Amino acid sequence: MELNITNLTKEFSGMQAVNHLNITMGSGVYGLLGVNGAGKTTLMRMLCTLLRPTSGEITCDGKEIFAMDGEYRKLLGYLPQDFGFYPEFTVEDYLHYIATIKGLRPIVAQKRVKEMIGAVGLKKAAHKKMKKLSGGMKRRAGIAQAMLNDPKILILDEPTAGLDPNERIRFRNLISELAEERLVLLSTHIVSDVEYIANEILLMRDGELVHRGTAEELISSMQQQVWKCYINKNEVGHLLKKYKISNMKSDAQGVEVRIISEEKPIPNAIFEEANLEDVFLYYFGEKAGEENDMV
Amino acid sequence: MYFYIILEKRRVKKMIWFEMKKIFLKRVNQVVLLVLLAIVLVGSFLTIRDVKCYREDGTMISGLSAARQLRKEKNKWQGRLTEEVIQQAVAENQAVNASAESEELMLAGRQNLEDIRELVNMGFSKIGEYDYYVCDQIAVDQAESLYEKRLSNLKEEIIGTGQQEKVAFSKKEKDFLIQQYENLKTPLYYEYMEGWKALLDSQYLPTLMIITIVIIGFLISGIFSDEFQLKADSIFFSTKLGRNRAVGAKIKAGFLAITAVYWSVMLLFSVIVLGVLGFGGAGCMIQTGGNWYSMYNITYFQDWLLSMCGGYVANLFILMLAMLISAKTRSTVVAITIPFALSCAPMFLGRVSMLTELMNLFPDMLLRISKFLDVFLVCEIGGKVFGLYFVLIPVYLLLSLMLTPVLYYGYRKSEVK
Repeated sequence: MELNITNLTKEFSGMQAVNHLNITMGSGVYGLLGVNGAGKTTLMRMLCTLLRPTSGEITCDGKEIFAMDGEYRKLLGYLPQDFGFYPEFTVEDYLHYIATIKGLRPIVAQKRVKEMIGAVGLKKAAHKKMKKLSGGMKRRAGIAQAMLNDPKILILDEPTAGLDPNERIRFRNLISELAEERLVLLSTHIVSDVEYIANEILLMRDGELVHRGTAEELISSMQQQVWKCYINKNEVGHLLKKYKISNMKSDAQGVEVRIISEEKPIPNAIFEEANLEDVFLYYFGEKAGEENDMV
Repeated sequence: MYFYIILEKRRVKKMIWFEMKKIFLKRVNQVVLLVLLAIVLVGSFLTIRDVKCYREDGTMISGLSAARQLRKEKNKWQGRLTEEVIQQAVAENQAVNASAESEELMLAGRQNLEDIRELVNMGFSKIGEYDYYVCDQIAVDQAESLYEKRLSNLKEEIIGTGQQEKVAFSKKEKDFLIQQYENLKTPLYYEYMEGWKALLDSQYLPTLMIITIVIIGFLISGIFSDEFQLKADSIFFSTKLGRNRAVGAKIKAGFLAITAVYWSVMLLFSVIVLGVLGFGGAGCMIQTGGNWYSMYNITYFQDWLLSMCGGYVANLFILMLAMLISAKTRSTVVAITIPFALSCAPMFLGRVSMLTELMNLFPDMLLRISKFLDVFLVCEIGGKVFGLYFVLIPVYLLLSLMLTPVLYYGYRKSEVK
């Protein structure tokens, strides 16, 4: 299974949401990282045939996906960012309905619905109405519907958004379990989500692919180094203006800061190993500060 | 191959089942359905209550007991209304008038021949100049010319008198109308028909049809737009059948909901009214009741069929259009306004004289067939003249069918932005 994206562009009223993108993906887990508005969701919607590209093409094993129509969507499992459902349906009804429109045979659908309800831990809630589920349970129902047809291509758009830390960890583990022998594309701006489970990370900014590689490759691609230092509170403003700061921790005496810089920012700064959050800040620095929920 | 077809059919049936569940599990839809049921029951009660008659002592009764008494009394005249029978009725009417001690006793005494009395009144009044007392005043001998009088009145209305020829109709339309009037087989057959008259000649049926279409509008307006409003569109359109069979299942579910609710309401209303007031009179020509000058030579049962089928076609067209608007605008609210606008607005706009003829072509006319059967509404197509309803019904049925592929292809191409 290979997805090939060639010169893919999507314009919305003159604004390029995705700009001449070229990516090839095979089996494995791909983490799509970028700030809000980077074009992640637009790219995923095109991959799910929900949006037609302005130019360029997406092929699946050499065949254009829009021409493949239902044959392509048969391979697809999708969990959108805004996961919508039918509030009056029970979990079981909802999954049966999705199984039907996914084209599963009734006997297979019966079996898969049962399996997926068990796999995502919704056995006790199977007869509950969707509208009565908690946020985490809804997300689990979402992943269950995406997996019903045992998809070869699984696309998850911000799957952990809005989940509490426990739910997020459970969800990450679930995705890791499901990721075998398929292409999983996971979009997020929560760095830790992809750090643990993605084989390869794609960094997107302004509709373009900025960088791709494993977490280690991305870390080593940084042209700057990471420094930790302890400073007075009145020095923070000055440092914020001069450097990209990936973390700050205050106590009564002062502030411990984590700085990304080519050179030692202050004499008592200590060299630190970089992590993926530092990479995120390095590449998306200006905008990263606007993101409240960046982990 | 055979196995595949069976499997596909089962799959589509299941999709339709789920679409129906989406419609009928919505709380707001359950509430409007209950409201509709209440309206049918209240409407039936009011329709039945409108049948009134006098007891021998002059007191008035209504509803089931009135229907029972009227059936017994009116069936005294059951049979062909020949010249002799009409003369006999006129004579009896005048005898009752002369002998009754009070107005109530007079009305009670002649209520058995009230329908025939009404025919004579209409027959011997000029069109548009109805006189309630004609039957009380004409000579009994004169009454034998009732059917000729009908024809001469109509000819005068349509063609005009020698000096003043009417220009409202073309030559072909005049010929058509006269032909229709001459085709009415006389003498008319008569029997008790209060049930059919109450059902078809009152305002309740058209009102109920308008309410039904508005309420079905609530049910079906969300079939397409709810996918977007619930944000379920992304998953729906990314599934294998989400851009083909699942869209077809939505259209079929809409069609089924329209059909099931419309016919349930109409049959329930008809069965309650006729069940209480009686099915008798189904074979009487509508001219025998209140439609003396109708160009449609049909029985009350055929009138019922025509009204019901016309109403159904109007429902289909207006509600298919509402579904199309729902799919295009992605707004349930906008879609809900369509049935309301198309079933009510033309009624008011039709009062503007320059719009009257145009408004006669709107689908709401099909919701009021039984009220317009005695209006000279004709249509000339390709040199041939038809009664308006025999044109509107097939045209709107065809338009409804034509909306289906527009809806299907429009919705399946939807993008999720």
